[in-house]
Amino acid sequence: MIRLACLLVLASMAAVVLIAVQTTGTNAIVFSFVGTPLLAAGIAVYGIQRWREGAFRSPPPSQRKRSPG
Amino acid sequence: MESQPTGPLFTWPPPSHGLTWLEILPLLAAAPAIVLLVQGLVRGRLPQPAGVAGVVFFPIAAYAFAGLLLMENSKQVQFCGSCHVMTPILESLSHDNGSLASIHYMRGRVSHDEACFVCHSGYGIWGTVGAKLAGVRHMFHTVTGHYDRPLKLNGPFDIDSCLSCHARSANFRAVEAHQALDLQEALVSRQMSCTGVCHPAGHPDDAIAAGAPAS
Repeated sequence: MIRLACLLVLASMAAVVLIAVQTTGTNAIVFSFVGTPLLAAGIAVYGIQRWREGAFRSPPPSQRKRSPG
Repeated sequence: MESQPTGPLFTWPPPSHGLTWLEILPLLAAAPAIVLLVQGLVRGRLPQPAGVAGVVFFPIAAYAFAGLLLMENSKQVQFCGSCHVMTPILESLSHDNGSLASIHYMRGRVSHDEACFVCHSGYGIWGTVGAKLAGVRHMFHTVTGHYDRPLKLNGPFDIDSCLSCHARSANFRAVEAHQALDLQEALVSRQMSCTGVCHPAGHPDDAIAAGAPAS
């Protein structure tokens, strides 16, 4: 999953490099219609992986740290 | 064919003095992202801070900066002409063909760098917003091939672009036809446009009909 997320976001970074090197109509289309969905998909895959690892869930009450006193 | 005069006075725009910040920032944000992403790709795991930075923070920053660069550079005439369907229109600007666009362009009445944007964006900030939205539609039409030739304007031409320069000009106000109230009302209500009736068409017909076929 992490590899897939990295691959998708890495591909979207290629579109950023293209735009920075030469701003043409073709590169703008690649940036908007290819790079942006790839970036969104990569971040979504990473978010799902983190969610599976329990990143966004609050720990059960038994595992919560109690403040002293 | 007459040879064009040369020399430093006729060289414009002046030679570039390197990259601007707007060109550097997307690459500065993309570079650490690429390093972290390659690391994640090879190892198959990323520690949480590196993962958030490499997959989320730096890529979004790179995209935001690249978006700003695209917004700015898409005002350039060369950007508009880089799509095949627009190339003949861009070439026609430099020829004395009597079209309104070439008259403005060849006489230097409009910026040579941003001529398309100046006349087609409308006036004020909402003109710029409208132009950017229209640009996204243009890209969509180019990708899908959904456009017909000769190209047609989507709706009436926004004469605020004309009036933003001409309305306060003494020469414009001195023209008897411009002083007629019925004509003024027809222009302001968009029932009539500057081009095609009193003034020449914006671009020559052959340039609008030419261009590579939709693919």
